[in-house]
Amino acid sequence: MKNSIKVQRAIHNLTQQDLAEKIGVSRQTINALEAGKYVPSTVLSLKLAKLFSKTVNEIFELEDGD
Amino acid sequence: MKTTYLFPNRLKMLSGVLFVISFVVLTALFVFDAYDQFKIKTTVFALFDDAVIGDPVYFGFTKNNISDELLMAIVLCSGIVFAFAKEKPEDEMVATIRLHSLAWATIANYGILLFCYIFIYGLTFLTVLMVAMFSQLLIFIVLFRYKMYRFYNSQQYEE
Repeated sequence: MKNSIKVQRAIHNLTQQDLAEKIGVSRQTINALEAGKYVPSTVLSLKLAKLFSKTVNEIFELEDGD
Repeated sequence: MKTTYLFPNRLKMLSGVLFVISFVVLTALFVFDAYDQFKIKTTVFALFDDAVIGDPVYFGFTKNNISDELLMAIVLCSGIVFAFAKEKPEDEMVATIRLHSLAWATIANYGILLFCYIFIYGLTFLTVLMVAMFSQLLIFIVLFRYKMYRFYNSQQYEE
């Protein structure tokens, strides 16, 4: 699964630490998300979407093989 | 996502220290066969005791050196608390790492047990059974701590 968290984070001018604190996870989790090493739960995806004022579909995208 | 079955984070340090110390003592006493030097002989309640010498006991009292029982109780209790204590930043990724470690620890533990069951015979097998009391917990703790170490030190690439 691909995601545009890094881009959205840059648009909103947040560091990984800022974003982590806003949605209540650790900085390392944001790092793993951006690197595509971790697929978040529905709750976390919805929190991210809400924070960036986007829909979940605009942030996350299915890849071949998913 | 709230996890309710984990122990509070403040118990992690204490139980970790207790686990390491008691585990080292347990191993040392076993390796040097020194349980008899720390005898705490007392009367204990036994559901069942098929006494090597004398009559077997059912739901009764029997005499036993409880130093190994005490030590094993400390190892298991502190081990369980340490293994399942909340991390400082407890989030869903930590929960995922914990689940992976637990699954791999179970698979590895039973792999090792099967190997020992097939290839180890005689009285040494009793040692295998003794180790099997806490091996899964031990493998899980080592694996989880290693993965959390990697997690905490994962590369930070900021803009």
